[in-house]
Amino acid sequence: MEPILQVKDLTVSFNAFAGTVQAVRGISFDLNPHETLAIVGESGSGKSVSIKAVLGILPKNGRIEKGEILYKGNDLTKFKEEDFYSIRGKEISLVFQDPLSALNPIMKIGKQITEALILSGSVEKSKAKAKAIELMEAVGIPDPELRFEQYPFQFSGGMRQRIVIAIALASDPELLICDEPTTALDVTIQAKILELINDLKRKKDLSIIFITHDMGVVANMADRICVMYAGRIVEYGTAREIFYEPAHPYTWALLSAMPDLDTKEKLFAIPGAPPNMLMPPKGDAFAARNKYALQLDFEEEPPYFKLSETHYAATWLLHPDAPKVEMPEILRERIARMKEKEAKSNGRAE
Amino acid sequence: MTKYIMQRLLATVITMFVILTIGFLVIRLMPGSIFDGYDEMTPEMMQALNAKYNFDKPVIVQYFIYLKNILLHWDWGISLKMNPNVPVWTIVKQKIPVTLYVNFYSLLLSLPLGLLAGIVMALKKNSGIDYGVSFLVVIFISVPSFVFATGLQYFLAYKFGWFPIIYDVNAVGTAKLHSLLLPILALAFSPIARVARYLRAELAETINSEYMLLARTKGLTYTQATIRHGIRNSLVPLMNIIIPMFTTIMGGSLVVERIFAIPGMGGLMIQAINTSDHQVTLATLMFYSFISIITILLVDLSYGIVDPRIRIGGGKAE
Repeated sequence: MEPILQVKDLTVSFNAFAGTVQAVRGISFDLNPHETLAIVGESGSGKSVSIKAVLGILPKNGRIEKGEILYKGNDLTKFKEEDFYSIRGKEISLVFQDPLSALNPIMKIGKQITEALILSGSVEKSKAKAKAIELMEAVGIPDPELRFEQYPFQFSGGMRQRIVIAIALASDPELLICDEPTTALDVTIQAKILELINDLKRKKDLSIIFITHDMGVVANMADRICVMYAGRIVEYGTAREIFYEPAHPYTWALLSAMPDLDTKEKLFAIPGAPPNMLMPPKGDAFAARNKYALQLDFEEEPPYFKLSETHYAATWLLHPDAPKVEMPEILRERIARMKEKEAKSNGRAE
Repeated sequence: MTKYIMQRLLATVITMFVILTIGFLVIRLMPGSIFDGYDEMTPEMMQALNAKYNFDKPVIVQYFIYLKNILLHWDWGISLKMNPNVPVWTIVKQKIPVTLYVNFYSLLLSLPLGLLAGIVMALKKNSGIDYGVSFLVVIFISVPSFVFATGLQYFLAYKFGWFPIIYDVNAVGTAKLHSLLLPILALAFSPIARVARYLRAELAETINSEYMLLARTKGLTYTQATIRHGIRNSLVPLMNIIIPMFTTIMGGSLVVERIFAIPGMGGLMIQAINTSDHQVTLATLMFYSFISIITILLVDLSYGIVDPRIRIGGGKAE
């Protein structure tokens, strides 16, 4: 199957007062049609910057240094602002992180949904309202007729995020990018929004790039997962591979830091802080916070080691000559427990 | 909203009443009397005049007589020095139109120009255009309007002869506008600069907001997003500076009217104070107070028009 989006060796830098910030340092991934790809990483790892580059909405001081973003055979890095007008919102849409600030506070909800449709001329003005009401129903807004005439401040956080999703879906895009869509919401609402996105994906045949720092969110959403750290993808594979056979120490750390119901030990916290991207460390950027780091990790950047057809990780630990290192105890126990549970529920299902 | 407007109107009336009371008392306390410079007047004549105009009664009684005349007969007293025995209202009535004409047109001129300059500066932030316009803005804000007035008068009117040097009282229609254009311009420079500076700051911030980004990702062009989402959101805080702006124009017009010999309220007020013509002074004071209060009222009400959070949210708070 031909991928809908291919990112190759994408490198993005920002000119800041103190120097050049290397936010994204040569990442590559592809997205197959009707698939959900999750990009996971902590704040500042370059997740949002990568997708802003895809949509051509990098801030003025940001620039794409090298690499290709192939969307349906076109290289988006060569696109000018005007070229994006036929793609943004129409073929690729973005769901924002913070629904509280993403909606224009002084424009009626209905108008914000229909605006782009009417301006692009894809829907007649008279039909736009019906389309908006239909969308609002699809994203689970009660009383859409009434809500159509209201302003964002009359909506709760979860309802606003539903509106943001409705806006993103207004022009029936093929590719939906969700930039931490549940970060600003409380946990019960989070679950509902995730369910909604999964539901819409099925109904509308969407391909989704899902950006998050929350491994727990990813588990129910993703087909494949890229783990990002300091502007690089350190490990990628199918969701199953990342959760059951993680290979990079950073992925181990992320998974160990994820709370679950059965773990009795104190939750793991990754020591230290992410590196300063003005001067990214040479070698593996995670080495300084990694207790399994080898001398080589500090000196030379690890290549991707192949674990399976779909699973790659960039750490020298996977080199045949490296000493054998096991994943942390807490994680091994948890994976064993998860497998056990899965076997049980499969048994019951049969 | 109606309730809010009614409350505000009531507050306006009370404010006017307070200003009138304080103004009346303070002006009576000023040194000088209407008899200054009339040395040949005998005490009997003075007494007769005092009795005629109730000046022999206690101040508080005078105050209530004054108030009664205004409220019941719209009688603001008569001028005693400038145009003796002419009712104050008749004098003021003649002067108001030309003053409002000048002030209104300079506001009308400065708003769109200021908005335009602000938008250009915000969109071209930190470019040559931005620096150039910012330089002009600083000059326009710091140089007082009467300096511009004299400069314009000297160069455009005297040297080049494009405009009349002083206001032609008999001109009507376009000729009137032509003869008042220089004072209007002189008064407009500072407001233009003020609006431009504030809008630049507001818009530069709004342009980087999430909803501008959302507008672009949903398919709007950069220009569409700026016009439809950026500018209107920047206008809400901008309403705040229109109050000082209008009073700045009014204050400037006190002097500028003199430069161009415009027979308006500004000249009248200065003349009335200099000649101790108390009734006229008080009437002009009330005029300027009224204009300021109405401006503030309009600004407060316009918040509701621009921002639904104030219009609808206000009802909930009560």
